[in-house]
Parts: sequence; structure tokens; C-alpha cells
Amino acid sequence: MLEIKDLHKTYGKFHALDGLDLSIEDGELFGFVGSNGAGKTTTIKIITGLLRADSGSVTVDGVDALKNRKALKKKIGYVPDFFGVYDNLKVSEYMEFFASCCGMEGLLARQRCMTLLEQVGLDEKMDFYVDGLSRGMKQRLCMARALIHDPALLVLDEPSSGLDPKSRLEMKGILKELKEQGKTIFISSHILSELSEICTDIGIIDQGKMVAKGSIDDILSRVNASNLLLISVLDGVEKTMAILRSHPYVQTISIKGKEIAVGFTGEKRDEAVLLQRLVDAEVPVNGFMRERGSLESIFMQFIDQKGGDVS
Amino acid sequence: MKINPVFQKESRVSARSFRLALMMLAFNGILAIVALFNMYSVMEQVRMTAEVRYSSFLELYIFVATIEFILVIFIVPSITAGCISGERERQTLDLMLTTDMSTEQIVIGKIMASLQTVILLLISSLPVLSLVFVYGGVNGTDLAMLVGYLTVTALFVGSMGLFFSAVFGKTMVASVVTYIVTLILVAGTYAFNHFFYSINSMNSSVYTAIGDDMPRAGAGCYLLLLNPAATFYLIINEQAGSNQVMRQFEQQFGRFPENWVTAHWVGVSVFLQVALALFFLFAAARAIEPVKGRRK
Repeated sequence: MLEIKDLHKTYGKFHALDGLDLSIEDGELFGFVGSNGAGKTTTIKIITGLLRADSGSVTVDGVDALKNRKALKKKIGYVPDFFGVYDNLKVSEYMEFFASCCGMEGLLARQRCMTLLEQVGLDEKMDFYVDGLSRGMKQRLCMARALIHDPALLVLDEPSSGLDPKSRLEMKGILKELKEQGKTIFISSHILSELSEICTDIGIIDQGKMVAKGSIDDILSRVNASNLLLISVLDGVEKTMAILRSHPYVQTISIKGKEIAVGFTGEKRDEAVLLQRLVDAEVPVNGFMRERGSLESIFMQFIDQKGGDVS
Repeated sequence: MKINPVFQKESRVSARSFRLALMMLAFNGILAIVALFNMYSVMEQVRMTAEVRYSSFLELYIFVATIEFILVIFIVPSITAGCISGERERQTLDLMLTTDMSTEQIVIGKIMASLQTVILLLISSLPVLSLVFVYGGVNGTDLAMLVGYLTVTALFVGSMGLFFSAVFGKTMVASVVTYIVTLILVAGTYAFNHFFYSINSMNSSVYTAIGDDMPRAGAGCYLLLLNPAATFYLIINEQAGSNQVMRQFEQQFGRFPENWVTAHWVGVSVFLQVALALFFLFAAARAIEPVKGRRK
């Protein structure tokens, strides 16, 4: 659906994008993660045809986004990180305006607007002025607007910023529904915990380069290998410590009550061997697992590496 | 026929806004006060001198039309200078640019909506202008010509406002620049030519106000073709029955060359203003095109 190859963009001497590569399959809900200034919005602006790239290629559903803007517009629905609403229009008028901008008129346009407003839960607000809507409602209205021409790819730039938890939940629900309908969604967000719940894949961008890309489980498992091994014992802490100190893969040990956090460099098989040794030594082990990384920890880990050697 | 979506939306928003009603009230209020005050002064003069000067009623028409022209020159930049920059400030321009609308359609929709407001103001002022019909001297064709020329002026100044609105991000900056450029066109071209004429007059050994020895206007006199006020002055004086309007021009700027352009001054000026307006609109459309020029 989306294919980005060796994308470059400079602002003066600043390299916003430095050879960005990315590909997204049909029906994916792709989370685009990066710190401020990493190049997320620049990438999105180029994908949506609002900014010219210096070099590279962007293909959206077979359309060359850098050469054929007219065809690109039909493929892309864009929800920016601001609301972009006209306060002195009613909800239905706002939708109909964008429908006519997309070449839809009359009954067809009204039906399409109604369907989308129902989908985002704003059908009862049709005759309300946009000015009177809450932030969450405005964001949902923007989402409905972006879907008006039934685009193949929906691009969302920080859709949850500034929303309260209820509105975020509603937004997440709409995204899940769209995903189930088979829509391909490209979403950039700082709220990583949300992305981890809904995204099929994520990409981490830093200094204009993609430093990691893959499914969340893949990336988590890669990162988990360097996480602490958490061992809980009912008693026999001293015996456990003696075993751990003699183990070649154990780097660090810290104790908190009857829970021991171990810096363990071995792989899964080595973990199994260690557990077996503890059991053989008759240590009553009631917990043995790697600390599960969060998307935040993954993000920080990749950003700290700054190398791009992970992906 | 498909109506331009931007024009349709702007018309709806503008019809709802309090601003339009206020603008119409101010526009017609000023015109009505000026017209009634002028009528009162003429009637008082008649009462005092027992002499009816019918030219006074034509002066009323000229006076009211001039006030209307000045109001158009002042109002149009305030309407158009926020057209594109306002969309940028509201952050809705990017959204429109991602729809099927071309930048040309966006610009045309915007200028059509602005002109619609101006035409509404002009039509609403017809009752005041029609006061002159009470005494005669001006006919319907003259009024139509006046409204037509004021629309051309609105298009010319409005397209400049729209262009600067597209070039500058802030409405305030676009407004100021539009007013400055309009001032240069109206007062600047006048001052430049008058200054040139004054210098020539000083160098002239024998000077008569009108005659063969009158200093010639410089090539800069053609700049007056772009001065909406100069063309308005010619149109309105011709309507008022002056058969030597160019002569009045020459008293200010020196003797104009005799050629096809000066013989068809009003027509050439209107053509140039419309052509420049189209250029500004095209340039505005180019200015908001997000992806333009060659790639590096």
C-alpha cells in the first residue's frame, strides 16, 4: 500500500529525512513513532503531497506520490494534528463542503456524510455548529472528513494529542473498526501505550532514519532479551543467590524482598537451564520470567542506540 | 451547473456573519449621510440665492460616486487580504489542498465570494446613488457603467489582496502590504507624474496652463493607466458631461501624447486592470501550490 524508498528532505542545512525507507502492507495499522523533530510530520506531509521531497520515492497504492498529486489525492485521507474546522459551519455543512471539494454532490454526498457521521458517532450532532463541539468530537469530525472519499490509505498525525481519556478511547474504537473494515492506516503518535494496543506494526524514526520496524511482538521479543530476568522464590534466597553468582551469564543481581532481578545475557534455552538448576536445588520458585518491555522502553532503547543496527 | 465549493461555503458563512450586515450598514450609512448632507447644502444654496444650479445635482452624483469608490478601495483589501492567510491561520488550507480541488479553483472561489460581497454593497447603495434621478442628468446606463467600473476596481484591488494573502502567512501583513501597494498605485503614480510635470514646468521658459507650450507629460504618464482613481475620475467626469476630461488630466500632468492608447484611455486602463487581476490570481494559485518547482 505504501512504499517509501531512500527519502531525503533538507531544510537549509538540517536533514529532516535522511534516506528513510518504509513499506506498509494493505490492511495494516502502522504506528509511526519518533521524538519531536525526528521527521514524522515531514514524512506525513510528503506522503500527503503537501511537501516536496528532495529525492527518493513514495508510492501509495501504485501511485507515484511525488509525481502524480492529482491521483494521490484520491488515495489519501489526511487527519492532521490540528482540528482544521470552520467554526461557523454546521457539522453537516462542514462534511458536505468537503464532499463537494471531493467532487460529490447532492443525495450521494449527503448519504455518504450521514454514514460517516454515524460511524464516528456524530449523527445526532449534524445540526450543531462545529464551534459547539468538544475537542474529541472535533477530532472525530476530522476523521469522518478524511474518510469522505473512501481513501485507500488513512494518514493520521498525532490524532490523540490534547484529547481526554474518554475521547482517546472513542478514537481508538473508531480506528479498530476501520482496521476491521480493511482500511490501511498510518498513524503517528506520542502516546505509545495506545499504539501498542491497536497497531499491527510499528516503525521508529530517529534523525530522519528508520531505526526499527516490525510487528510489536517481534520488536518486544528482541528487546526483551536484554531485559531483566525476574525470579520470585518463596524462601531460600541465599541458596538462589549462590547459584546465580556462580552462573556465567549472570551480570547483575538485585534483591527486593523475595523477588530477585537478574541481568541475564543468556538466551531462552539458558533461562530454562537456570530454572532447572534452581528446581534441582529445591528452591521453591514461584515466578520466573523476563521483564516485559513497554513500547516506551523499546522506543527509548532504540533512540539511545541511534545506530540503526537493530532493524 | 456545479457551483465552486469554496464560493458556496464562503457565501454561506458570509451571509450568516454579523460582519456583512455591519459592513452594509456602515457603507450605506456613510453614503446616505454624505448624499443627504450634500442635498441639504444644495437646497440651502437655492434658498439663499434664489438661483437653481442644476450642475449642483450632478456634483451630488460625482460626490457620492467618489465616496463609494473610496469605500470600495478601503473595504476590498480588508475582505481579500485574509482569504488565504485566514485559511492558513485556521489550518484549513492543507485540508483543502488534499481534496480534489485545484489551487486555481480555491483562488477563484475566494475571489468570487469577495466580489459577491462588493457587488452586494454596490447594489445596496443604488437607492442612495439614485437620488440624482430626482433631478435628472444621469441615466441608468451611467449608473450601470459606474457599478461595472467599481466591480473592475474591486477585482483589481481584490486580486492583489488575495495574492499577498497567499504569499504572506499573516492576514495583518497581507492587509498592510495590499494597502501600501494600492496607495502607491493611487497616490504614488499621481505624485510621480505631478512631480515630473512640476520639474518640466520650472524648466519651461514660457508656460501657459493650456496650450502648445504646455510641458509634455513624461513616459511615466502611462503608469496612470494602472491608477484606478485616475480612470474613475475620467469615467465620472465624462458622465457628468465634461467633454474635455483629458484636458483636466493634462492640467495636472502635462500634455499627453496623442496616440491610440490616450484616445482609448478608459478601455485600455480597464483591460490592463483586468489582465493584471488575472495575473495576480494565477500567481496566488501558484503561491499556494504545495509542491511546485523542480526537485533538487
